[in-house]
Amino acid sequence: MLSPITASNIWFLIKGLGVALEILAALLTIGFLVGGALAMVQVYAPRKWYIQGPIRVFDRIVRGIPILLLLFTFYFGLSDVLNISPMLASIVALGIRSSAYQAQIFRSALLSVPPGQLSAAKAMGFTRPHAIWTIAIPLAFRYALGPWTNEFSSELKATSLVYVIGVSELTNRASTIISNAGGYILLVFAVTALLYFVVNKTGNSLLYGLEARLRFPGFERAN
Amino acid sequence: MTEYLHFVREYLPYLLGGVPLTLAIWVIALSVGFAIGLGLAWSRVYGGRAAYSIATIYVEIFRGTPVVVQMLFIYLGLPSVGIVFSPFTAAVIAIALNTAAYQAEYFRGSIQSVSPGQMSAAKAQGMTGAQAFRYIVLPQALRRVLPQWSNEAIIELKFTSVAYTIGVIEVTARAYKVGYHTYQFFHIFLLASLIYIVMTTIVSELLWYLEKKVSVPGLGVDVGRPEG
Amino acid sequence: MTDVMAATDITKSFGSDQVLRGISMSLKKGETKVLLGPSGSGKSTFLRCINRLTLPDSGRVTLSGVEVTTDNETNMRRRIGFVFQEFNLFMHLTALDNVRVSLVKIKKMPKAEATAKARAVLEKVGLAQKEKSYPAELSGGQQQRVSIARALAMDPELILFDEPTSALDPELTQEVVQVMADLSAEGMTMLVVSHEMGFARAAADELVFMENGVVVETGPPEKLFTAPEAERTRSFLRLLSDGEPAQGPVPTSGARDG
Repeated sequence: MLSPITASNIWFLIKGLGVALEILAALLTIGFLVGGALAMVQVYAPRKWYIQGPIRVFDRIVRGIPILLLLFTFYFGLSDVLNISPMLASIVALGIRSSAYQAQIFRSALLSVPPGQLSAAKAMGFTRPHAIWTIAIPLAFRYALGPWTNEFSSELKATSLVYVIGVSELTNRASTIISNAGGYILLVFAVTALLYFVVNKTGNSLLYGLEARLRFPGFERAN
Repeated sequence: MTEYLHFVREYLPYLLGGVPLTLAIWVIALSVGFAIGLGLAWSRVYGGRAAYSIATIYVEIFRGTPVVVQMLFIYLGLPSVGIVFSPFTAAVIAIALNTAAYQAEYFRGSIQSVSPGQMSAAKAQGMTGAQAFRYIVLPQALRRVLPQWSNEAIIELKFTSVAYTIGVIEVTARAYKVGYHTYQFFHIFLLASLIYIVMTTIVSELLWYLEKKVSVPGLGVDVGRPEG
Repeated sequence: MTDVMAATDITKSFGSDQVLRGISMSLKKGETKVLLGPSGSGKSTFLRCINRLTLPDSGRVTLSGVEVTTDNETNMRRRIGFVFQEFNLFMHLTALDNVRVSLVKIKKMPKAEATAKARAVLEKVGLAQKEKSYPAELSGGQQQRVSIARALAMDPELILFDEPTSALDPELTQEVVQVMADLSAEGMTMLVVSHEMGFARAAADELVFMENGVVVETGPPEKLFTAPEAERTRSFLRLLSDGEPAQGPVPTSGARDG
C-alpha cells in the first residue's frame, strides 16, 4: 500500500476544498439575493394569494426534497435543454435551495423588528421603502445573523454531495485517493472531516465576530 | 403528458418499493438518535466536567462534518479495523449519530428554557434530581422542543437519500437505477421528488397534529385569559 | 418538647455579599412565626437554608431534633412544605395532578388513595372545582392556593412560606391569607416571610424582625407593633403600616371558594 500522505495528495485535497468553497460562496450569494427578495415580498408586499401563494409552494417543494434529488433533477433536467456543466448546475440548484432557507431566516428576522420602529419612522416622515431600508433592514440583519450562521454550516456540508453529478470536490477526491492508495481509509476520511470541521469553525467564528461587532446595548435576540 | 403518465405507471411501483427502506432507516435512526441526544443534552446541562466535555466534543464533531463523510467513514473506513456493517446498518448508524448531535442541542436549549423555579419546587417537595428531571422538567422540555424537533426529523428523513451512496436501494437509489437504464433521468427524478414531497408533507402534518395533541394551556399553545 | 425546627447560627454569603450573619431561630409545634424585614435582609435566603434549597455556609438546622444535611436533605424536604413567591406550580399538570404527583411518585401511594387525598386538600383551600384546570388557566391567587394544597398533601411537620402574596395583585391576596390564617389556627407549624400585617397581627405567635442579615428583635405581634424595643423595628413597622390601609385582624373561617 502506498502511503497517501504525499504532498501532491494533500494539495489535491485542498484544491477540492477550494472547489467546495467556490460553490459555497456562489450558492450563498444567490441564496442571499433571491432569498432576501422573497422575504421582502412575504413581509411587505400585499397579502394577495397570487403573490404569497407561489412563494409558499416554492418553499414547500424546494425544502421538501433531498439535496441529492434536487441536484439530480436539476442537472439532468437542464442537460436536456442546455449544455450545462455539473459545477454550474450545482451552484444554481443549491443556490435556489438556499434561497428558500434564507427567505425563511430573513422573513423571521424582518418580523422580529418591533412594528413600533416603522411607525416611528413613518411619523417622522420617512417613506415606507426608505424606512424599511434605513431602520428595518439593519435591525433584521442583526437578528438574522445567528440563524444565518447555521445556514452557512448547513450549506458547507451540502457541497459534499455535489460529487453525485460529477463535480470533483473534497469528498470525491478523498474517495479517489483511497481507491488509488488502496488503504488508509480511516485516515483519509478523518483528514477530510477535519478540513470541513476547520472551515466550518472558522466561518462560524467570523460570523460570531461580526455579530458581536454589530451588537448594540439593549439588543435582544429574537426568540 | 400521456407519455409521462405511462412512464409513471411503469416505474412508480418500483420507486415506491424503496419507501419502506427509507422509512425504516429514518424511524430507527431517529429513535436511537433521540435516546443518545437526550443523554448528551443531560450531560451538557447537569453532567460533571468529564461528561460535559465528552458530550460537547461529540456534538461539535457530528454537527461540524457532513453526513456523507460520516457515512463513508463508518461503511468504508471501519472495516479496516475489523468493524463491518451492512449498507443498511451503516446508514442507520451514521444518521442516528448525526441526528443525535442536533437533537442534543435542541434538547439542551429546551431543558434550559424550563423555568428554574420548576426544579426548585420539585426539589422542595422532596423529589430527587432524577425524579424532578423525569416528572417535571422533561415533560415540559419535550413539549417546548417539538417544533424544532419536527424540523430536525424532516431533515433527517431527507438525508436518508444519502444512503444511496453506500448502496442502500432506497428511493433515490432506485430512481437512479431507472434513470440509468432508461436514460429518462429527468422523468424519474421528478417522480422521486414527488414521492419525497408527499412523504415530508405527511410527516409534517402528523407532527403538527402531535404538537397540538400534547400541548397544554400555557405550554406551547396560546392560552385563554386566566379567570380573575 | 423538641422543637419542630431549630436553626443555629446560619451564615451565608453570595460572593463578597454576606447575606446572613448568624441567624438562630426555633419553632415549636403549632407555632406560627412571621419573619419581617427590608428587602435584602436575608429573609428568603434564610428560609431556603432551612430546606437546603440554598446551602448555608455554616450553622445547623434540625427538624424534630435531627440535623438536616446533604445526605438526608431529600428525605427531610418531604416533611417540610415550601410555598414560593412565584407559585412554581408544575405547568404541564392540572391542579389535581400538581397536588397528587408527589403522593404518587414520592410516597408511592396507590392512585385511588392519592386522588382522594389530593381532592380533600384542594377542597380545603377552596378549589375543588378547579381540579382539571392547568396553572395557566388559574389566577395568581388560585395558583398560590393550589401551591399551598400541594405542600399540605405531603402532611408536612412544618410549612415555609416565602413571600406568598408578594407576586399577587392586591385584590387576590385575601383569598391566600385566609387559607394561611385557617391553617395557623388549626395548629400547623408555620414560618412565614411576608409583609401582610393583618396576618402577622392576627395569626403570628411571634414576629422576628431581621435586617442586614441579623435578627434585630423578636416578640409577640402586639408588643412589636405598639412598643418595640429597637428603633429600627419601630421605623420599619411604621413604614409598612403607613403604606397600607388599616388591616384589622383576619377572622378564621371555613373554606372559601374561588
